[in-house]
Amino acid sequence: MHRLGGAGIGGLQRQTQATQAYKPLSSAISRSQIDSLQQQLATFREALTRFAREHRNDIRRNPEFRQQFQQMCAAIGVDPLAGPRKGGWWAELIGYGDWTYELAIQIVEICVNTRDINGGLIEMDEVLRMVRRLRALGEDDGSEAISEEDIVRSVHTLSVLGAGYQIVTVGHRKMLRIVPQELDTDQAAVLEVAQEAGGQVNEGLLVLRKKWTVERARTALENMLMRDGLCWIDDQAEEGIVYWVPSVMIWAEE
Amino acid sequence: MGLELAPVKVQSGFLLPSIHSWPAFFTYQPNPRTFSTQREHWTTLILTYARFARIWELKVGDVDDAASGGVWGEVLHNPRLKPPRTIGRKMLQILLEQLIEEERALPDPPKQSSSVILCWRTIPEWAGILHDWAVTTGQTNTILTLFEISNPQVPSDLSGMPEPLLRRAIALLQKTGKAQVIEGADGGGVRFFP
Repeated sequence: MHRLGGAGIGGLQRQTQATQAYKPLSSAISRSQIDSLQQQLATFREALTRFAREHRNDIRRNPEFRQQFQQMCAAIGVDPLAGPRKGGWWAELIGYGDWTYELAIQIVEICVNTRDINGGLIEMDEVLRMVRRLRALGEDDGSEAISEEDIVRSVHTLSVLGAGYQIVTVGHRKMLRIVPQELDTDQAAVLEVAQEAGGQVNEGLLVLRKKWTVERARTALENMLMRDGLCWIDDQAEEGIVYWVPSVMIWAEE
Repeated sequence: MGLELAPVKVQSGFLLPSIHSWPAFFTYQPNPRTFSTQREHWTTLILTYARFARIWELKVGDVDDAASGGVWGEVLHNPRLKPPRTIGRKMLQILLEQLIEEERALPDPPKQSSSVILCWRTIPEWAGILHDWAVTTGQTNTILTLFEISNPQVPSDLSGMPEPLLRRAIALLQKTGKAQVIEGADGGGVRFFP
């Protein structure tokens, strides 16, 4: 048999000798690599610190800049939200972590306050409007503006709480969902039809638009009404019984 | 985008909350969680409006003339919706029961729940107002009839106050030694102590 590695006692001894001979060399290389890495890191850190100092205000005020900053961080594998234990100096320098957490707290506040009416589903535009209202910002207040990406990112930070906050897309709109259970496809379809119809939906409309059977439409609506609290029933409409979806309405300031 | 729901100022000058423009607000909600929200919005609205318009009574029957200019029309009915909506009798009945349970309404007559006197201030609040009134108008230590209190020559917060509510407020003051009820013909009277 042809043995390439030279198995057997002789082969093993040769291997051990070789490994021992490489050891000092390898540790010398490692040391120099570590030194050089540390040097690089120091330079990198210095550059980031300068960047943070110079652009702190831009990051807090300008949503586009914030988005690009976020992309840059992702590209170089830095987590700007890392807490004090893992590289807190970064978050501290920019105040970006605090900023995102503050926003997350405001989102939770909005969701909790509106949950009893909308059943835990709220449109992204509505969240944005309410955040602006909480921060007493005008509709087109350029500075301190909040963008949809900011909301998405803040909601992401909430996921560690296991609170079941998620972004779902219904029709062409993003919605924020607070209830732990997932939206099933029928519920999503009902919401989509309701959005198109100015907030209301009934069995007939679902049969017409979605080509559903009456039974399927009835079950979907019944679930949304009784199980999820995502819609309210109205027995005084012209068409008979209709269902209104609070999360697709715009609730003006009281 | 869905319908925009905004507060509406009605003829009396009262500002209706956004939810009053929500068509389903007028239908009883079978989901218990949704209903408790709906009930809370309704009872708050009823008490706020009663206080604003100084309306003391509410009956299930007020639903019937809500669309035709009844005193409760601005609240129990919304003619701006298409078609207009009116709160259901069953729903109003439940709201009255809830108000009675929370001591924000007194059944009048007693032992039923489809006609009430609204306590748009709580009974302890009324007791405080009553006592302050007696003190500031210098009417302590004299006997006043209930009629004199609810029909004062100088209009006060107590003007027009229904007798059952007035009696409850006085009873509370009597417990703390701030008033004494004097029984007698013609409904008797009350003496306040400073």
